[in-house]
Amino acid sequence: MSLEKVIFGFFVLLAATLNFGFFIGDIDDPTLHNEYELFAAVVVNLIATVLKFGDRTQIGAVHLATSLVADLQLIAATLAWTWATQISSNGLDGEAMASVVSLSGGALLANIVSVVLLVVETVSFQRR
Amino acid sequence: MFGQDEARPRKARRWTRIAAAVQGPPTVFLILRRMRAPLIVLIAIFAISVLGLTLIPGRDDAGQPARMGFFDAFYFMSYTATTIGYGEIPHEFTGAQRLWVIASIYLTVIGWAYAIGSLLTLLQDRAFRQALALRRFTRTVARIREPFLLIAGYGQTGRLLGRSLDILGRRIVVVDTSAERVDALDIDAYRADVPGLAGDARNPRTLDHAGLGHPYCEGVLALTDDDEVNLAVTMTAALIRPDLPVIARTVSPAIEYRMAAFGSPTVVNAFDRYGDHLRIALRAPASYQLMVWLESGPGARLPRRGRPPRAGRWVLCGYGRFGRELTADLRAEGLSVTVIDIVAGPEPEPWVVVGDGSEPGVMARADLVNAVGFVAGTDNDTTNLSLVAAARRINPELFVASRQNRPETAPLFAAMEIDSLLVPAEVVAHEIYAQLSTPLLWRFLREMPDLGDRWAADMIERLHLHCGNRLQALWRTTLDAEDAPALTRWLRDGPATMRDLLRHPDDRDQRLDIVPLLILRDGQATLGPDDDVALRPGDQILFAGQPWDKRALLETLTINSVSQYVLHGRRVPSSWVWQRLTHSPR
Repeated sequence: MSLEKVIFGFFVLLAATLNFGFFIGDIDDPTLHNEYELFAAVVVNLIATVLKFGDRTQIGAVHLATSLVADLQLIAATLAWTWATQISSNGLDGEAMASVVSLSGGALLANIVSVVLLVVETVSFQRR
Repeated sequence: MFGQDEARPRKARRWTRIAAAVQGPPTVFLILRRMRAPLIVLIAIFAISVLGLTLIPGRDDAGQPARMGFFDAFYFMSYTATTIGYGEIPHEFTGAQRLWVIASIYLTVIGWAYAIGSLLTLLQDRAFRQALALRRFTRTVARIREPFLLIAGYGQTGRLLGRSLDILGRRIVVVDTSAERVDALDIDAYRADVPGLAGDARNPRTLDHAGLGHPYCEGVLALTDDDEVNLAVTMTAALIRPDLPVIARTVSPAIEYRMAAFGSPTVVNAFDRYGDHLRIALRAPASYQLMVWLESGPGARLPRRGRPPRAGRWVLCGYGRFGRELTADLRAEGLSVTVIDIVAGPEPEPWVVVGDGSEPGVMARADLVNAVGFVAGTDNDTTNLSLVAAARRINPELFVASRQNRPETAPLFAAMEIDSLLVPAEVVAHEIYAQLSTPLLWRFLREMPDLGDRWAADMIERLHLHCGNRLQALWRTTLDAEDAPALTRWLRDGPATMRDLLRHPDDRDQRLDIVPLLILRDGQATLGPDDDVALRPGDQILFAGQPWDKRALLETLTINSVSQYVLHGRRVPSSWVWQRLTHSPR
């Protein structure tokens, strides 16, 4: 068992679970989506991305790509949230919340692909 | 041999890649890989600081409890961590918040210092810089779109040859084990950009990076001073690109034999060639002088004509590979040789004196007083110099030959005024230059010794008269529709003579200062043709002369109005309309 693999798997999975936690609930209800969870999802996703840097295999490259997609979506979600809370005159209404949550839903999809890749990698790895 | 007349590689030709060759990762991934830890630390520190700021209770201007939002917290941390510092927003901080900010400021400073430090270390890293250099080198080589020569080994020989080839306008790519020599490429005055790679030429991958598989690679030169490496380069080139010509340098007949097993490389053995040269010098000093002059490359000064003694006894010091070759060559010329050798051979021979040549007693036994020639042929320059000095003291009339191993000692040997100096690197460089510059020069040099000493002396007179002390580049012209379109009719109708061709475009009573060295017609070479020689279409001519005369001749060859004046003394209009109106012959 290598510590590196544990940490890698931990962060990939944690990114997906946090993302899922934020995403779940009525899409336009701000009370069901915790901003701290979004913050944690962004941070953990960034760390997962950095962990994937520099892997030269094909699967490593796809890993990095999915992570970059998730980052992009989540950062877009935080920007939408910032816009709604700080700049927009309407505040964080149902419409704004829906766009934040749907963006994070896209990130969730990318994170699920990431987890699937992780599982595929684990299954195809055979110890001889 | 391969020269400029070789068929140019077609664009359609593909790279020949070594199967195992793997390109290194792009530079950006190298950086990202090394920056993983610092970046994660930085992200973690930011996340903790921002999260802490949002959790710690604050107070707004009215004194009501208020917490900082994520946006404000991130904004605050961004400008604080980067030491910009816009003050406390949106409200003045409470004591608890300030306590947390103190901690996070120190944390972020550590984070940044770590990240920037890692990046700087990476940029200083030797492995990283090598990876960058390799990447740049392979890219430069891959972009070359003209024929180039791959030179393995950039020592004295490689440098001499590289310079001569560069003056001829040939491109080269260099591989050498020493990074210093490769760095020196940037300082050396080359007209073209010469890509260089520090690496082991024995490794096929190094040669692959240097463009062995490149469609425009026109030849491989193995010029390192290590025979083993040269053999490896010859092998690699023969196995991966059997179509490429290879020229290899060696001093060992055994290696020469092993090289010949792979394809048909041209092997240049400096000691062997020096022996051959000395034999020519003994028989025909002027032929030798002409040969050295032509081989020395563009801008070479006329060398002195040595007069080695043709009869008598020679004394030779240093009976290694060089000594053996030279002894055999001198014997073949009917000279007797006494050898001074430091160790006794298996069976003592009467002509071998055993002992250290620098000891007076040993010199006396070799009977230098009655000898005519002396050769200092050890592989140590200091020894050679002291041997020459000792020999001259005993017999000042001696013809002295010496071997110079290192380029730094050249001034010392020049001060000693050695009669015949062997510099292995120069012998090899000259030989390869003669083969590469143009095939006609090589032909000339091979056939010239048969014509005798008197002929060579006359040729030197002619060259000296027209070209002066320094010989500029030689060039080849073919009298066909491509090289000489303005001469087609003149050549067909005849009689066409060299005299008419070499008239000056400004004043046809003057002759251009150009010497024709050789005419090649139907595989038959005529050396040193005089001005009355008749020219035919398709003749290949090797010329020597100054660059401005070369340009003048080029005008005669290509511009119709110039050639009409030069050949027939007719002034014809140069524009098409006037030519039509005056019915000038084309």
